[in-house]
Amino acid sequence: MYNARMRTHLGLVILCVLSAARVCSSTSAPESPRKFDCRSREKETFSCWWEPGSDGGLPTEYRLFYTQEREVRECPDYVSAGANSCFFDKKHTSIWAEYTMTVVATNALGNASEEFRITDVMEYVKPDPPVNVTVVVNSSAPSPFLEIRWKSPPDVDVRTGWVTLKYELRVKQNDSKEWKVNIGSETFFNFYNVYPGLLYMAQVRCKLDHGKWSEWSNTIFAEIPKNHQVEKYFWIFVFVFSLIPLLMGIYILLLKRNVVKQCLLPPVPGPKIKGLNAHLLKSGRSEDVVNALMGNQNFPPVAAWTEQVEDFLLVSDSDEWLLTDSFASEKKKDIFIIPAGLHLGLEIQCRDLSVDLNTWEKTDDSKEEAKSNFLNTEPINLPVEKHEFLNGEEMSIQPLANTSYVDIQQHPTLTDYSRVKEVNDNTILILNEEEIPHGLDAEEVKSEVSVPDDYSRVKEVNSDVVFLEKGDSTDGCCKKKEDHYTDWTNQKPIMPLESELSKGFCLKMIASGYVDSGPAFSVK
Amino acid sequence: MLEKKSLPCLLRPAPVVYLVAMCRAVPVNDLLDRASQRSDKMHSLSTLLTQEMDSHFPPYGRMQMPRPADCHTSALQTPNDKEQALQVSESDLMSLARSLLQAWVDPLAVLSTSAITLPHPSKSSISSKIQELQEHSKSLADGLDILSGKMGPSAQAISFLPYTGGTDLGQDRVTILNKFNFLLSCLRRDSHKIDSFLKVLRCRAAKLQPELC
Repeated sequence: MYNARMRTHLGLVILCVLSAARVCSSTSAPESPRKFDCRSREKETFSCWWEPGSDGGLPTEYRLFYTQEREVRECPDYVSAGANSCFFDKKHTSIWAEYTMTVVATNALGNASEEFRITDVMEYVKPDPPVNVTVVVNSSAPSPFLEIRWKSPPDVDVRTGWVTLKYELRVKQNDSKEWKVNIGSETFFNFYNVYPGLLYMAQVRCKLDHGKWSEWSNTIFAEIPKNHQVEKYFWIFVFVFSLIPLLMGIYILLLKRNVVKQCLLPPVPGPKIKGLNAHLLKSGRSEDVVNALMGNQNFPPVAAWTEQVEDFLLVSDSDEWLLTDSFASEKKKDIFIIPAGLHLGLEIQCRDLSVDLNTWEKTDDSKEEAKSNFLNTEPINLPVEKHEFLNGEEMSIQPLANTSYVDIQQHPTLTDYSRVKEVNDNTILILNEEEIPHGLDAEEVKSEVSVPDDYSRVKEVNSDVVFLEKGDSTDGCCKKKEDHYTDWTNQKPIMPLESELSKGFCLKMIASGYVDSGPAFSVK
Repeated sequence: MLEKKSLPCLLRPAPVVYLVAMCRAVPVNDLLDRASQRSDKMHSLSTLLTQEMDSHFPPYGRMQMPRPADCHTSALQTPNDKEQALQVSESDLMSLARSLLQAWVDPLAVLSTSAITLPHPSKSSISSKIQELQEHSKSLADGLDILSGKMGPSAQAISFLPYTGGTDLGQDRVTILNKFNFLLSCLRRDSHKIDSFLKVLRCRAAKLQPELC
């Protein structure tokens, strides 16, 4: 009996001990919460979270009490922010104000609390990321670019100035690792550093009032299309089509090149001489050549020089000769007149004379030989003078053409050609003074004039030929014209001789310097 | 930035008429925009300063930090949320901003001299930032003087908030650093207040230009 009671007591004790042990290991007062954190998304509200400690195995209740230097209040909203959180709405939020939070964990066995201090809600401001991020590829010229746009986070009030948002955008190629970053206050950005055919990704985040950056927004992708094939084909098309008429034009030109040649490069007529047959010349016979050029004229045989007595007309274009006493040999340009005892009775006005071959007329057979000397490519302009004489006599002068040769009708007293002392450039034959016959008005003859005995003593033949009648008032006859000489090659002798000549005449002749005594000059 | 020369035309000597014709006052919107840009810069600098201090040497535990109520400007009653701020009149907002700005002239000078000998690895960077802050503060104060002149007498009233911390931050290294930290946190808060008030003012003045908000 004693043993049975002992055993039941022992059993009860063991049971009690065991049951007591079970209670002690599973329940206790809760631990204080740890890790307190808060966040404000828009500078108007904020939420706080804590991490609960061990709950002691019993259902534990958490409560938050806060104070702002005044009375203690309890959290207004435990639900909106999730478990173990407290949400402070606008009414309960004070910026720049301090919060002292106390979180109390309570269960059946006890409670535990922890204090947290929020010095400034601004320290916990972290907005939501921007929304509605869109990317549009703008393909306008000259090169495409990305138009990236976004909107501010929905709950942030940007219209009153209470909040200032700053955005950060980053863009990169899909393959590369480097982001291109831009920070600004605008809600759009144009990104130009893109290449066709590549894929790009972009993200945006924002910051409120120099607080913390938000998370990155969703990534958006954009691909730059490759160069438009259509545009390329269009230009190829235009090029080909413009090439066809060009080729056709060239082909036509080639076909009608002769016509084109006629149009653009008309043939220049070759030189033609009347009466001249080029083919005849090619045959090469000299008489043909001569006949072709001279026109089948028969020259009279030229008499010997010595058989002829000739008059010489010296024509000068210069007054100087007449005025000055000394015959200066250095005055080469002067044309000296050797009076040849001419009493032509001519009253010929000095004029520009122009003549061409057609008017040339030979009155003497002796001209024949002289003709050959007339081959001169510089035709002298010696117009045939008619009806222009003072004395009313009609005379015509038919000077020799193309030469400096002026033939004068023979007069009884003539100085011989051989008496020419000097022939200047002005083609004046200077007769020897002594030989001058008395019949001549030798006044104007230079005293220095000396006529050589034969022609061979001609010193010089000038290019100018001026013929003047000696002795007459030739003062005003010829004006010295220096520039005559330069004009001679132009075959335009200028003889503005205005004075009247009673007896003399002035002639200015362009000549090659040859003065012949052939009777080529006839005065009728 | 805020031009002192842009006095309102009415303040110029009236007898000379052509001067009135010559003067071109900068519009209030523009002045407020410049002012808020300046205050934004100040707030940014003070935020960077506190971060720089904390990165190297957080001297305080969380609970030992001096409370904001200990700031010398805590006596000033300011709006603490958006609704309150939007209800304050423009003149009062301007007055508050100017009062806060004025209150920091002396403490900034103290900070500036202490920064040179601060026992902190980044003291040169800190010192230069404080000098920059001083410049911005002076410039902003001048500009707000002009602005407040356009807004009426209540805008020109400044609350007197003396700094009583003395010129010396302490003797030992820990005390110096703690005081420095505390002052910087007060400065950050007050510079943010100034910035917020001016930006609300700017947005209110630019009703026709919502992009300025």
